[in-house]
Amino acid sequence: MKFGNLLKKELSQLLTKQAIFSMIFTCGLLVLLGQIMGNTMENIETSSDTVYVVVNDDTQFVKDMLDALPDYGTKATVVKADGGMDAAMDANDTNSLIVIPEGFTEKATNGEKTEVELYTRLSGTGLANMVEDSVGTGTTAIEDYLTDYVFHDRLDISEDDTKLANDPMMVVDFTMSNGRTAKIAPSTVSGLMMSLNAILPMAIFFLLMMASTMIMTAISTEKIDKTLETLLSSPVSRINVLFAKMLAAVIVALLNAVSMMVGMVFYMAGFIGNGAKDMAGELMASSEAADALASEAMSVPQALSELGMSLSGGMFLLIGLELFISLAIGLFAALIMGAMATDAQTQGTLALPVMFTTMIPFFVTMFTDVNNMPIPFRMIMYIVPFTHTYTALGNLLFGHQLAFWLGFAYQILFLAVIMYFAVKVFTSDLLFTMKLPVREAKKK
Amino acid sequence: MVLQVKDLTKSYKKGVNAVDSISFDINEGEIFALIGPNGAGKTSTIRMIATLLTPTSGDALVCGNSIVNAPSKVRECITYLPDEAGAYKTMKGIDYLYFMAGLYSGDKTVVDKYVKRAVDMCGLGSRLEEKINNYSRGMIRKLLLSRAVMTRPKLAILDEATSGLDVINALDIRKTIKNLSREEGMSFLLSSHNMLEIEQISDRVGVISQGKILTVGTIDDLKREFDAANLEEVFERVVSNEVR
Repeated sequence: MKFGNLLKKELSQLLTKQAIFSMIFTCGLLVLLGQIMGNTMENIETSSDTVYVVVNDDTQFVKDMLDALPDYGTKATVVKADGGMDAAMDANDTNSLIVIPEGFTEKATNGEKTEVELYTRLSGTGLANMVEDSVGTGTTAIEDYLTDYVFHDRLDISEDDTKLANDPMMVVDFTMSNGRTAKIAPSTVSGLMMSLNAILPMAIFFLLMMASTMIMTAISTEKIDKTLETLLSSPVSRINVLFAKMLAAVIVALLNAVSMMVGMVFYMAGFIGNGAKDMAGELMASSEAADALASEAMSVPQALSELGMSLSGGMFLLIGLELFISLAIGLFAALIMGAMATDAQTQGTLALPVMFTTMIPFFVTMFTDVNNMPIPFRMIMYIVPFTHTYTALGNLLFGHQLAFWLGFAYQILFLAVIMYFAVKVFTSDLLFTMKLPVREAKKK
Repeated sequence: MVLQVKDLTKSYKKGVNAVDSISFDINEGEIFALIGPNGAGKTSTIRMIATLLTPTSGDALVCGNSIVNAPSKVRECITYLPDEAGAYKTMKGIDYLYFMAGLYSGDKTVVDKYVKRAVDMCGLGSRLEEKINNYSRGMIRKLLLSRAVMTRPKLAILDEATSGLDVINALDIRKTIKNLSREEGMSFLLSSHNMLEIEQISDRVGVISQGKILTVGTIDDLKREFDAANLEEVFERVVSNEVR
């Protein structure tokens, strides 16, 4: 009853409207990002099928060429651009237009080098926009048609020879990882890994920061307001008070972790689950040869599975567990730091160590692989328990099982040690006598 | 006897005693005040009796229970109101009372009885339905005092019970303390800088300086002993003698 009473009070203090909002926000943000990326992939699929062409050289040659483009993997829709390019793009809901300039036919039929104009409107600076804007727009199909025309019509070479001359070599992409090989473009896999490596640690970082700050503020405020003295002089054991606090913080952290992992699943689905269309194939869709390759290339989930890089339910669970342990470490550390607070000023200073130990490995792991750093730096990074959470996903995906499990074991050990100190602080005079050493030094 | 303090000592640094072997006792229904200059060791003494700090040596018995060996038993007999204490700001006043009452009893009927008593005593009426965040300092103090006495503890420890309050609120609280002592036999250990307040409500006073109890007695006895007109003069003479 008493413990339940304490737990209820701690939960009501931690699960404030703001905390619930940020939890829903994190989950919702990841789901939304997944949706955006999913839509982008769909747009790429549909937009690469059709190109919009403004014809300023109205000849039978151009008409024949545009009619023949579906054979080269692209459908051309002729549009007017009398009101300017922007208006034409708006009217056709596209960000790219191909203009066939006057004199195109004359040059092509006279054996001169032709030119077409390609107008691309940048749709934004976001990742999704950049991916969308970089996709081919059908100029390759026109180029292929002209090559065929030169070989077949002007040089009178057979159709088969024309095809061979046009495309004498095909590059078949293979990506290797974890000692396995998959028939997929490496850029597809590395692009996916990059986006994962950017988002997951960022989410972990914010979660750690938020949960640690939350418990530190809770304990330091109780100490400064002297509600802790009132509470601990009532007939409840200190261990009960400590564990009610920790359990409440852990429940809140767990809710955060679960909401984040749910968000992550949706985010991932936006990349690889959306109709399971082959990104590699789509990115090269305008070329006939690429089409042929794409039909042979693996789908992204298939390829990741073949490479041993797919994210199984077990992996999600392990990452979730590692995240949970990190949060528990952060919470116990924050509890100890919070116990040192004597006033609002020290409360702010005390947040710094937790902030730095979460922030530094976050930035380092974002820009480089810790395993490639010089040994002294690597050791320093590995001493910080949060580093192992930031690198967990990469370790699991790239088959660094030993690194993952060593990190996992270290985190459990670290948790046990910090838990011991937290209990010691909370059950001794230290809770009331411990102060921030810096302030002591200043006074001297 | 409700409280027996025996050679209680607390040192935070080796060789420096913040509280140096002090002894005093409090009888049932008695209001005992501990007075002394800043840093004299009042708060350390009170925190040890409230089982928040562990004595370096010595002991204190609250209702026969040792603060060293049976702190949880001690906490069942006492309540403690720290100086300038706050309450959980996100809670409503009434929820705070229920939360604290729930720590003293698992029986809902008893909890309701405790809360009803606190509600009657604090006089905050409908304001108890508001969040504590909206309370003035005086309202918080009244809420906390009613919380401290709602369980009818054998010993209520109040550190600067009326600090920061206006005259009317301070008078109210003094009256409440006196009534609880006279009518319900509750004992109080007070600590205050306000000599007038101590003189008005205390039965006995202990003067503490540099961690030592310098003298203990009733107000009248102390006035006679130190040939003083009031407690302020007693305090001045006792402490300045010690300094010399």
